[in-house]
Amino acid sequence: MLQFISHYTERYSYLDSIRLALEGGCRWVQLRMKDASDDEVRQVAVVAQQMCREAGATFIIDDRVELVRELHADGVHLGKNDMPIREARRILGPDFIIGGTANTFDDVVMHYEQSADYIGCGPFRFTTTKQKLSPVLGLDGYRRIVIEMRAAHIDIPVVAIGGITKDDIPAILATGITGIALSGTVLRADNPVEEMKYLINIINHE
Amino acid sequence: MKVTINNKQHQTQATNLCELASQLQLPQKGVAIAIDNQLKPRSSWGDTMLQEGASITIIKAACGG
Repeated sequence: MLQFISHYTERYSYLDSIRLALEGGCRWVQLRMKDASDDEVRQVAVVAQQMCREAGATFIIDDRVELVRELHADGVHLGKNDMPIREARRILGPDFIIGGTANTFDDVVMHYEQSADYIGCGPFRFTTTKQKLSPVLGLDGYRRIVIEMRAAHIDIPVVAIGGITKDDIPAILATGITGIALSGTVLRADNPVEEMKYLINIINHE
Repeated sequence: MKVTINNKQHQTQATNLCELASQLQLPQKGVAIAIDNQLKPRSSWGDTMLQEGASITIIKAACGG
């Protein structure tokens, strides 16, 4: 599974990035506009959600629990400094996907116990997209977390995130991690739609 | 048939994703399902047939467990 995290560059806006990802076959989009106001996010989210609906893609929004409830998005992703998952679940109820960022197995356990539906686990390596740095996990970090999760019978999907390039994907999925979250690497390609198709093809054959 | 759901073996009578979702009592909203890494839109669940040994991922806490 591939989750595309919206992004902008000099060439592409947030909505462009989502349109390209959907055209390339991505069916899981996270709208992430960390420094924007709620109103700015709402304007983009309404359009992005419509695009995702038309494509049959799952649409989640980073951090903005109230906006997710208001727009009836498919879910919310919560970072380590966002609202606790338990609180978000209390507000949203069972009919929304809630994902949480984890850096360690202890984070995974905490999110699982608070009813997270999936984990975004990273960073895989050093990344410039996220400014608040946690220790990088690398393949060994993912292997350890997968083993610990299985031993603890925690069976929610885990998506690897943070500085992942296409060459890393087979090795990451081989650790038992369920999926990959990508942002910058798609938009940096000369042809992002073709890049997305290529990435999905890699993921579907691992 | 036998399928794998979130890395666990399951025995199911369901023939398609819609039946599987109903058998697992998944909610009407807030669920995403992938087969062999490929996410399936809800509108396609009825037409998505299950194959023996399929690897299914369900994004919904406490499901498939």
